[in-house]
Amino acid sequence: MPGLAIRREGVFYLFALPFAALTILFGLWPILLSIQVSFTASATALQPHPQWVGLANYAAIFADPVFQASLARTLLYTVLAVAANLAFALAYALLLDSALIGWGRTVFKLAVFLPVVTPDVAGYVVWRWLYDQSFGAVNAALKLAGLPGFGGLASPGTAMLALLVAELWHHAGFYVLIFLANLAILDRAQTEASHIDGATTLQRFWYVTLPQLRPAIAVNLVYALIQFLKTFTAVVVMTKGGPADATNFVSFYAYQQFDSAQYGQATAMATVLFAIVLLVALSAYRVTERGRA
Amino acid sequence: MFIRLITALVAAMLLASPGRAQQLSIWHDLGDNGTKWLAEAGAEFAKTHPGVSLRPISYPTDQWFGRTIGAINTGTAPDLLFSNYERVIRVASQTGKIGDMRAVLDGIADHGFLSGDDLRVASFGGRMIILPVQRVQMAFGVRKSWLDKVGEPFPQTWEDAKRVAGKFQAGDPEGTGTGTVFGFALEAAKPRDLIHMLDLFTFGAGLRHTLVDPEGNVVIDEPEHARVLAEVLNTFGAYKLVPPDTINYSFNEMYQVIEGGRTGMFRVGDWNVAKWDAQGIKGDFVVGAWPRFFADRQNAVVIGGMRGVAVPENAPNKKLADEFAAFLLGKPAQQASLRIVGSAVRRDLDVSGLSERQRLFAQPQWPLIAYDFPEGGLAWYPELEAAFHRKLLTAIAVPPQDMPAFVKATAEEMRTLAKQLAARKG
Repeated sequence: MPGLAIRREGVFYLFALPFAALTILFGLWPILLSIQVSFTASATALQPHPQWVGLANYAAIFADPVFQASLARTLLYTVLAVAANLAFALAYALLLDSALIGWGRTVFKLAVFLPVVTPDVAGYVVWRWLYDQSFGAVNAALKLAGLPGFGGLASPGTAMLALLVAELWHHAGFYVLIFLANLAILDRAQTEASHIDGATTLQRFWYVTLPQLRPAIAVNLVYALIQFLKTFTAVVVMTKGGPADATNFVSFYAYQQFDSAQYGQATAMATVLFAIVLLVALSAYRVTERGRA
Repeated sequence: MFIRLITALVAAMLLASPGRAQQLSIWHDLGDNGTKWLAEAGAEFAKTHPGVSLRPISYPTDQWFGRTIGAINTGTAPDLLFSNYERVIRVASQTGKIGDMRAVLDGIADHGFLSGDDLRVASFGGRMIILPVQRVQMAFGVRKSWLDKVGEPFPQTWEDAKRVAGKFQAGDPEGTGTGTVFGFALEAAKPRDLIHMLDLFTFGAGLRHTLVDPEGNVVIDEPEHARVLAEVLNTFGAYKLVPPDTINYSFNEMYQVIEGGRTGMFRVGDWNVAKWDAQGIKGDFVVGAWPRFFADRQNAVVIGGMRGVAVPENAPNKKLADEFAAFLLGKPAQQASLRIVGSAVRRDLDVSGLSERQRLFAQPQWPLIAYDFPEGGLAWYPELEAAFHRKLLTAIAVPPQDMPAFVKATAEEMRTLAKQLAARKG
């Protein structure tokens, strides 16, 4: 019945058309315009007939030591943040899924998910206060416990860690939720069989549970990579790229360049970041999908 | 009969109509106060220009840039723009379509109240890109009750200021415990933040340049400049007279520290006074010139720029827009500006309704010294300033053991970079 299939597809495309149009208009069009600006001279970037400079902006940013350091820092932070978030979320989800936690399950679920729905700016402002060197609760608690103070956001050596903890607080709940959904559909018979066969707890987790969590790991990994490669709000609210560039990630550096009218270089940085995000996310997806097959 | 009646009605309507109404649009970034002031000035302007109305639209500064540049470049420009000089520079360089206001100024009979400095910070690329309407003054403020508690007068010299800051920090003037209040409120996060602070201390001490002179020569290792730079850096490091998190502070955080009662000495802009008289600090502050660093140099209050009106060359009602721009320098508009925004440029205004502190700014008796705005003449300056800021932030994060050596090395580095930038950008 090819006629029916064509009609059915036609109806599908008719319904999809408005959303496709909106995606192209508000999603793809700005990206394409931004890429176009990256090939123009900043001073003429917003003029009707900009001066085209080819790859000059890309050459300039790759020759800029601040950008090089920023790119390396972004990649390092992404690796650390993705690893920390997924490890924490997996451990937390396993805890929630186990019989150990008992009646407190709802409280713990709420505790980890509430930060996800908290407005990010408000959350990061509170974290900034927690880390404050003169009145912050973090150092007050450390002092009470007789421990040395934490440099928090004021020290280049600790700012990235402080940011990572605050971001983990904000995002981990989402990853926990994905893991929990996957844990709910695990094949318990396999776990029980391995238990009967004498597998240890660690062996059961490694050889039985973890392979079944591959779909959740794939989704979380791709999402987290995109999330942390683009880290921006936490930086704007808490450190503004400082201290001494310790948290100056590519997205924030591009914003700074844009703010100082370096439109060509700013959009070149954004394009590089976009390409990296796309490449890394696709690679991660391919790797996890291949493992599944 | 019917046709006659219709003809009479049409004739009556035509006769009764006041002519085609004209609306001037002005885009500014002064917020609600700016809108209120411009609306009042527009209503006054309409008294002599029947049928003309003014539509002030306020944008947050970052949006103001994009919208203004986009509108001018796409032929949908507003009639007038109102903002700070350095912001209009960016619009002028991105569009090349900001009109020269020199002829408008020449057409104003009484513009003698504008000084040479005022006019210098209105020009860019050989054109007068704004008509200066509001002088931006920034003075040094100290909490009055704190001074009383530690038994000190308003600090006159930098040594006084350091001593008073130390007493504030040790004396617990708010009763919140030592270690909770600090000597100074500064900001450092963004390039303009830290350099702005350095500007205030440098110009306030009577020097005329912060990083480069008008020829583009780096000046930071000249003895007087080096001293101010070292002292400002030491305020963060060796002296520990600011909150430790200041390295991440921008304007918002600095204001929170000031208004939250966590600091004793701070910048007071003319636009802050009306608010701080009523709320926040609630009038508990005295203002004066910035601390004196050198016995043979006059310290001063700093003119941190000029806010003014610009007219795009492709403004829909350019002639009328020029007339309104000139009107903003007249006494009624200036009086309203002083009352609502807190600053003006005329000196013959009625100040009887102002608070004592507002009067200090309205009829300044203190020495005034203006920023040099190197970006007005050196296209590459913002990039040099950003690099300078990075060096200074590093010195704040990890204070150098040998400050003079750091200043000298930084100066050499800036010289090399300035040469490269000048060769690249001209």
